[in-house]
Amino acid sequence: MASITLDKITKTYPNDVTAVNGVSLDIRDGEFMIFLGPSGCGKSTTLRMIAGLEAISSGDLLIGGRRVNEVDPADRDIAIVFQNYALYPHMTVARNLAFGLRLRHVEASEIQSRITRVAALLGIEPLLSRKPSQLSGGQRQRVALGRALVREPQAFLLDEPLSNLDATLRASMRTELIKLHNSLGTTIVHVTHDQVEAMTMGERICIMRDGDIVQVGAPMEVYRNPADTFVASFLATPPMNLLPGRIESDGDGLAAVVETCRLPIPAAYREAYASHAGKPVIVGLRPEDFQAVAVGGGRTAPVALHTITTEVLGPEVILVANFASPGGPEVHIRMPRDFRAKTGETVTLHFDLPEIQVFDPGTTRVLARPFLP
Amino acid sequence: MLKQSLLGLALATALSTVAHAESVNILMEGVPDTEYVKTLLPEFTKETGIEVNLEVVNYAEMHTKLVPQLVAPKGSYSAIVVDFYWVGEFTKAGWLMPLDDRIKADGFDASVYVPKLMDLVGQVDGVTYMLPFYNYAMGLLYRTDLLADEANKAAYLEETGEELGPPKTWGEYLQQVKFFTKGDMHGVVNQGLRPDPIAMEWSNYLFANGGEYHDADWHSTLNTPAGVAALDQYKANVEEYGPLGAASFSFDEAFNVMAQGGAYSYITYNFFRAAIDDPSQSTVAGKVEIMPVPGQEPGVGASLNGAWGWAIPKSSPNPDAAWTFLKWVESHDIAKKRALQGGSPTRLDVFDDADVNAKYPYTGAMKDMLLTSHNFPVFTYTPQLVEVLGRELSLAVAGEASSADALAAVETEMNELAKKDGKLK
Amino acid sequence: MSQPSTMEAADRRFGWFMSAPGLALLLAVILFPVFWALFTSVHEFTLIAPNFDTFTGIENYAAALGDPAFRHSLGLTAFFVGAVVLIEFAIGFLVALMLNGVERFKPIYYGILLCPLLMNPVIVGLIWRMFLHPSLGIVNYLLTVAGFEPVNWLGSTKMAIWTIIMVDIWHQVSFMIVLLLAGLSSLPKEPYEAARVDGASVFQSFFFITLPLMMPVIIVTLLIRMIFAVKTYDLIYIMTRGGPGVATDLVSYAIYRTAFVSLNIGEASAMSAILLAVILIFTGYLYRYMRTLT
Repeated sequence: MASITLDKITKTYPNDVTAVNGVSLDIRDGEFMIFLGPSGCGKSTTLRMIAGLEAISSGDLLIGGRRVNEVDPADRDIAIVFQNYALYPHMTVARNLAFGLRLRHVEASEIQSRITRVAALLGIEPLLSRKPSQLSGGQRQRVALGRALVREPQAFLLDEPLSNLDATLRASMRTELIKLHNSLGTTIVHVTHDQVEAMTMGERICIMRDGDIVQVGAPMEVYRNPADTFVASFLATPPMNLLPGRIESDGDGLAAVVETCRLPIPAAYREAYASHAGKPVIVGLRPEDFQAVAVGGGRTAPVALHTITTEVLGPEVILVANFASPGGPEVHIRMPRDFRAKTGETVTLHFDLPEIQVFDPGTTRVLARPFLP
Repeated sequence: MLKQSLLGLALATALSTVAHAESVNILMEGVPDTEYVKTLLPEFTKETGIEVNLEVVNYAEMHTKLVPQLVAPKGSYSAIVVDFYWVGEFTKAGWLMPLDDRIKADGFDASVYVPKLMDLVGQVDGVTYMLPFYNYAMGLLYRTDLLADEANKAAYLEETGEELGPPKTWGEYLQQVKFFTKGDMHGVVNQGLRPDPIAMEWSNYLFANGGEYHDADWHSTLNTPAGVAALDQYKANVEEYGPLGAASFSFDEAFNVMAQGGAYSYITYNFFRAAIDDPSQSTVAGKVEIMPVPGQEPGVGASLNGAWGWAIPKSSPNPDAAWTFLKWVESHDIAKKRALQGGSPTRLDVFDDADVNAKYPYTGAMKDMLLTSHNFPVFTYTPQLVEVLGRELSLAVAGEASSADALAAVETEMNELAKKDGKLK
Repeated sequence: MSQPSTMEAADRRFGWFMSAPGLALLLAVILFPVFWALFTSVHEFTLIAPNFDTFTGIENYAAALGDPAFRHSLGLTAFFVGAVVLIEFAIGFLVALMLNGVERFKPIYYGILLCPLLMNPVIVGLIWRMFLHPSLGIVNYLLTVAGFEPVNWLGSTKMAIWTIIMVDIWHQVSFMIVLLLAGLSSLPKEPYEAARVDGASVFQSFFFITLPLMMPVIIVTLLIRMIFAVKTYDLIYIMTRGGPGVATDLVSYAIYRTAFVSLNIGEASAMSAILLAVILIFTGYLYRYMRTLT
């Protein structure tokens, strides 16, 4: 097991396209780290550089404290699971599992016992004598995982391993991966574009965009304190509502004004937002932070919402509405399952003010404020 | 091919009704003598009103093109040219029309041909099937400049006690071959490729040693002292006195060695005599002459005869027009005109013609060559004999069979073929 | 119940109806000549007497197999086919592997490679006969300039077959390259990355992944090339006529001679039938082997 350190890692292709732009990151020993981002953000390239499948243009890569920039993939003691499994089509499952061990001259009896153990762990014992073409997608995924597991490497690199599975299978594999990590404790770097995977599996999420790391942090930390509008709109479904507004003086305090709606800023944030008083900002309101009943002590503020439609999902209802006025910006609000509203109906909900986020419209960065529990 | 046959068919149908729009189709080989005929065709059309279409192809294609047309009840060729190889096959199969009645009726004089040529590509068992077209008898090409060289003369005299000059006997020739082989210079270049080049060339060696292919009863007489000596000499010439690779040379490659001045002598087809004087393909123009292959005694020739004949196939759509053409192309005037262009004559009166001799001084040598020449066995299985002979000679030259064994093998197969053909009782 | 089955029958009839012209054509152009040849092979059929009057049974086969020259040709052909197919495969695979990694100018390499393949074998034979002329050819000239002894390419019994093999390789190796390259470029890329991480060297990747994955393509390529090589005739006709001696007397040339020089179509057909049987057995074996792979 080992930590992985990226120090100003850059990948520039011969055609001068920079895929990864001076990325620095410390992945702790035994950590489950998620690389999250839209396609083309450089997350897979970063993973492949860690694996040694792509050459590093500049910067240093350390695995277990050892610089491995020029070390062959085989000698980095890592295992990788590919999106399309990359099984050896002409070998049986057993031979697929054994291949890497044989190349490393592991004793036959040891190979056999490891295969037995891993096959039992993944429930693929009945498949050992089959060839990949005779397996279903989920079975292949397990074999690919098994091939990584039998190697007992210092770190697992997973490159969108679940994206080719159907929704149900994906959910159960998520749980299995988490269980695996809990029992093995090996460092895992998991690349995905699926924010549910990111939120549920990782100890930390590293969000990337255009070759840069935008934010690194624990899932809830990233969720509640997005570093910029990109992170805010990427994480969670429906994402944070981002509304054009202003910061205005409100007596001796401040208020965020969107359309005709005034949202008083909690006193603890005043210092952080003071510099933007009188300026346009982007106001970020999570769909989850609205409720039907006001809370006393000025913790919530009423908001008038003009219903466009409601999406009844079962566990919850998504209210799609114009914010503050019939011509206001469209927002999505998550409500309990018994909430109902007719089209055109005006509903007054109460926003939980401490959850407000304010972004600079120029830089799109969040205006840093104290974190209230 | 299909187009040609359709054309032929269409013409044949047209001919039976409209006599004056006649045309004659002939399949010919792409050689100089064919070109000479071509230049004269307008004269024929002017005289007779008959069009002549020559289909000119490679030798290799001729046989394959001919046979289907000959087998058919009505083919597309009015007249054909026949290599002496095929004479036995074509006459045995009954594909050729006898010409004696036409010759008699028109008073065509066939006695002007060199008798040896009539035997080869004229008559078979007393019936005239063909008129000899041109001959390609083999002769000895040798370097006159080397013979005239004073230093060579002196050295030769010292070495052998004899005067250096064109060889009068086969023995003298072999001695010269040995004498001229030094350094880059070779006494002889041979054409050792299977099957025709080696078989044809070696035939001269056989005749030069006084040998023949068979006796009067068609018993093969190859495994004889003359045959074995001929093969031993041939092998020695290829290996000791010839250039590297002669065992696989075809005639054009061997000719190139001769033409580039790499050898003193080369026994080959007479048409190379004209080619060697062409500066575009020869560096020894004017330095080479031809003579009959010498025999055991002075004045005895050992050249192998070879020739093509004109014939009218039984499947000819218009034999009368074809005969009109044959009569014309083999008439004295036209034969002479062809000879003057460089053609190889078959008629004695052309050989003796003053104009021809004035233009080509070696015409006399060519005539002597023919008169003293020997014929290759002509029977149904001539091509097969050439094949067997080529294989066994080549084996002997390659050192994989002794001369006697190789010739014994040819003898056995030749006797079988002759028996199969009814020649050998 | 009866409704669908009549529909099915109608479908089947329509299917036969639609494929009948194609099947008939196949029958006419493939089966008919084969049967004609087999029929001819049990008759005394010569070009001089082209008829089926005399039934001879296995006589033609006995004559062919009893002829030491034909047996020699069969053995020599086996050697020739083995040599050209294996050498061309080795070279072809090496070049294909190298080209598979090339990214730029691929069409240019393809073009150059295809040139010999597009040439008529007769032309190839003539060109090489000229190049290999022992005293006037460019090959021996270059050899002597470089200080080597000139080589008797076609005139020596030991060398001639190798010369033919060499020319055939020059002419046909691109066929292997093109087919193998097509196979290589259709291989999945991911297993190679997996193998790199699993610790496979370039050679191990080749032997454990490329080779097994390519096996079906390789077998088909070898099979096609083998069948073509058995039919080699033009090169022999142009370059050696089977000589010197019988050093290059390949079986197709022997069959040609039997048919068109000896005019014995019957025996030539018997020879062809023997050859066909040998090729069929070999093809069947390789085909079954390939079936076990997939």
